[in-house]
Amino acid sequence: MVFLTFPCLIRNRGPDRYWRIQEVLKNARHFRGRKNRCFSLAVRAVRRAFVYATKGRQLKKRNMRTLWISRIAAGSHEHGMRYPVLMNNLVKSSVQLNRKVLSDLAISEPRTFQSLAKLARVRQEEGFRAALGDGSEPAGVLSRVVLLQ
Amino acid sequence: MAVTFRNGCCQFIRTCWRLRSHGLQLSLQKPIGGLLPALVRQQSSQILKYPPNYVPETSLSRPPWPEVKIIDPAEEAKQHQDVVQKVNTLLEKGDYGRLFAVVHFASRQWKVTNEDLILIENHIEAECGDRIRMEKVLLVGGENFTLVGRPLLGRDLVRVEATVIEKTESWPKVHMVFKKRKSFQRKKIIIQPQTLLRINSIEVAPRLS
Repeated sequence: MVFLTFPCLIRNRGPDRYWRIQEVLKNARHFRGRKNRCFSLAVRAVRRAFVYATKGRQLKKRNMRTLWISRIAAGSHEHGMRYPVLMNNLVKSSVQLNRKVLSDLAISEPRTFQSLAKLARVRQEEGFRAALGDGSEPAGVLSRVVLLQ
Repeated sequence: MAVTFRNGCCQFIRTCWRLRSHGLQLSLQKPIGGLLPALVRQQSSQILKYPPNYVPETSLSRPPWPEVKIIDPAEEAKQHQDVVQKVNTLLEKGDYGRLFAVVHFASRQWKVTNEDLILIENHIEAECGDRIRMEKVLLVGGENFTLVGRPLLGRDLVRVEATVIEKTESWPKVHMVFKKRKSFQRKKIIIQPQTLLRINSIEVAPRLS
């Protein structure tokens, strides 16, 4: 803006009030009621909307993970296993597929998911066999079991 | 003659019937009713014959963990060999249609096929139009076979190629923090670089071991 005298320059409140208000109102145009027209109401509504969007981005990650987990659990129940058993044994077999991909496989690649479930089952039984042992004592241990044998 | 419990009960019941026929009211209906089923059970148990080593099943008859099958290692190795043979013949003939792969890229895992588009939320050191090979492949599968890596498959086994199509920025996301009654609010606009990739091909090499 051009001012012919110094007092006019000092006393001017600023040229861009309209654009500063529109910057906020454009984010509120799809709201319901007077919040989409009146600036003082819109400011508060837009602030809440931004805060909810920020928090929602954190929650989305948590919700997606629970969704994947429940889908993998459903898929593993179809093959006679439970979710913790499946995940534990896949980790022990050093298969590092994450929950997102496992849920996608459970939905769109049923045969692959079945093969992974079988792998987990075999690893589980290997673990049981290792834990139960063949009924003999470890080497270097003398006990009643060894004497009776 | 030794008085057994059963003989005593039978005599008791016979006297009760005699007394009832004489018209006397007995207040001992309930105990008799309780005794009769025992007598019936005693009679029925004499008909069933159990083998000499029979032990009835209880909650402690078997251990609480599930039964584990004993596996013959030679048979197991033979089964493994059969499966590997089948997969090898499949791969050599090229008898597979569309392949899918699980690829670890940009700290995320993607389930990918041919002609797929992938949007990556960061910058990649490659120009638009460059052909890229994705090396960390976790799983490759077709309709009749799957190759699962532990955790990765070999570099000479799978080849996944992609082209960089576009390098843009995301829409301006608003990060806002606000605490009520404390005059505290912060607003930040976040614009992230994005890269768009198109998966061109997934190839599997024969000769597994």
